[in-house]
Amino acid sequence: MKNRILKVDDLHYVYGNGKLALDGVSVEIFEGEKIAVIGANGSGKSTFFLNLNGVYTPAHGEIIYREMLVNKKNLNELRKNVGIVFQEADNQIIASTVRAEVGFGPMNLRLPKEEVIKRVKEALAYMNLSGFEDRPPHYLSGGEKKRVSIADIVAMKPEVMIFDEPTVSLDPQNAMLLEEVLLKLGGEDKTVLISTHDVDFAYRWAERVLVFCNGKIIADGTPLDVFQNMEILKLTNLKQPTMMEVYNVLVEKKILPDTQAYPKKVQELKAVLDDCAVLLSG
Amino acid sequence: MEKWIVLSAMFLLTILVFVVKRRNGRRHGERAHEHRHSFGHKHGGLISIDYLAYSSKIRHWNPTFKVILSVLTIILCIALNNVYVSIVVILAMAYLVIKVGGLALHDYLSVLAIPLAFILISIFAIVIDFSDQPIGIYHLYLGFGYLYTTMAMLKYGVFLMLKVIAAISGLQLMILTTPSSEVISVMKKAHVPKDFIALMNMIYRYIFILLDVFAKMKNSAESRLGYRDFKTSCYTFGGVASNMLVLSLKKAGAYYDAMEARCYDGELMFLEEDKKVEIRLIVPAAVYVLCLLLLWYLTR
Repeated sequence: MKNRILKVDDLHYVYGNGKLALDGVSVEIFEGEKIAVIGANGSGKSTFFLNLNGVYTPAHGEIIYREMLVNKKNLNELRKNVGIVFQEADNQIIASTVRAEVGFGPMNLRLPKEEVIKRVKEALAYMNLSGFEDRPPHYLSGGEKKRVSIADIVAMKPEVMIFDEPTVSLDPQNAMLLEEVLLKLGGEDKTVLISTHDVDFAYRWAERVLVFCNGKIIADGTPLDVFQNMEILKLTNLKQPTMMEVYNVLVEKKILPDTQAYPKKVQELKAVLDDCAVLLSG
Repeated sequence: MEKWIVLSAMFLLTILVFVVKRRNGRRHGERAHEHRHSFGHKHGGLISIDYLAYSSKIRHWNPTFKVILSVLTIILCIALNNVYVSIVVILAMAYLVIKVGGLALHDYLSVLAIPLAFILISIFAIVIDFSDQPIGIYHLYLGFGYLYTTMAMLKYGVFLMLKVIAAISGLQLMILTTPSSEVISVMKKAHVPKDFIALMNMIYRYIFILLDVFAKMKNSAESRLGYRDFKTSCYTFGGVASNMLVLSLKKAGAYYDAMEARCYDGELMFLEEDKKVEIRLIVPAAVYVLCLLLLWYLTR
């Protein structure tokens, strides 16, 4: 059994204008999970993330980090261990050089300077940004800025990393690089939460999917379960991942036997088809 | 000797203005084909000074050293009040920034030309006077009196101008070789109040974001004929300006959230690189300052 890292219990959050953004959210997150968070704009994903990190204080409900109930006093402990990469890098980058920017989090953790320097170096190498130390952020391209904003969080070495719609405004190449980084993080057994509108990506990458709708979690399960549930897809105006649709069509046309072995990638589909061809010819 | 200085200074100034003017005119045409800087070079006063500082070859020098050298130069120029010192400073600073720092001569001159316009206007007011008698070495009859100047006034004016240019050259050493973030870190070392430092850091970062946002808004307004005539332009400008205000408030909120998410607790701390002060630099700098003092002593 994996250890529980975060427990959110009956979380309510109300915005200053009286709008209820989270309406009783309860969820448990375990070590090393890869979770995709999907839901329409304004369904409460970002608010949920900011609550998880302790930036927003819930109206009521509680967050338990490991065995610790989060309150005002130990808020920094939570922030230290849950890092958010914001949707827009320009809203996150604060310093005027890449070095100072990536060092900002570790400096706030009050680490000794040698340790900060070491972490900055590691984080930059991790994000393939070595040599960018002295660059000011306003002379970086969009993809580079995104990488800097991820390095910001990597340098803080949190246990849980949250990405708020990371692939928005990235070109295909940078989006691919991002997926590689996510795989790398997954390999290190980090807990990763990603909000996304890309169902194909969620289906391919995630182990677990949370679906938000009007401030509530309306579905929580494996990608296969969630994306086969037509009711939920309809409620959130999502479509099925292309791979699933293709598989369903192939089953319908009796090209493939219905074994429920849904492929996640093109290669996997190819393998399934190859197997089937062997069966038919043999 | 002094007469020659006055004459040659006036001569050089004319050439300088002419050169800058001509190059500027020509550059506009060339810009389409020529892109000398490899990335992110945006045009517009502030950004290009920032960019020039960023791409200077002596950026890696210790920023405290550069700031002290620059401030010391300015103080010496003003305190010694000696025309020879001024000339040496102008040449030395130009040498440092252009030759050692690898800045194009034209860029150096065009940055210098910005304050020069103001200096020239004020110098004219000092050099030229009005009288009802034809006095002085040069005078111009205007029908109701004479504009005149004397050798002493010319000398005083030109010497003053050289002093001001020398002091500005000292400043140029700082702004054209040291990025603002490093200047701010030097101020922090000089114990400027923390809140000022935090404000300066944020304003510096935000200037670029707001300029970017402004450029985007302006483009989108322009694509919808927002600047078709003067009246529309005024309305559009007002719209863009108020939108910018709303947007900057919103961005400030998002920014604060992002800072808090990284454990910000009221004190802005950045990691700064320690750049070693090299003896190799301090010795020539000391010699240079001594030379200035010696020059002043000999020509007093």
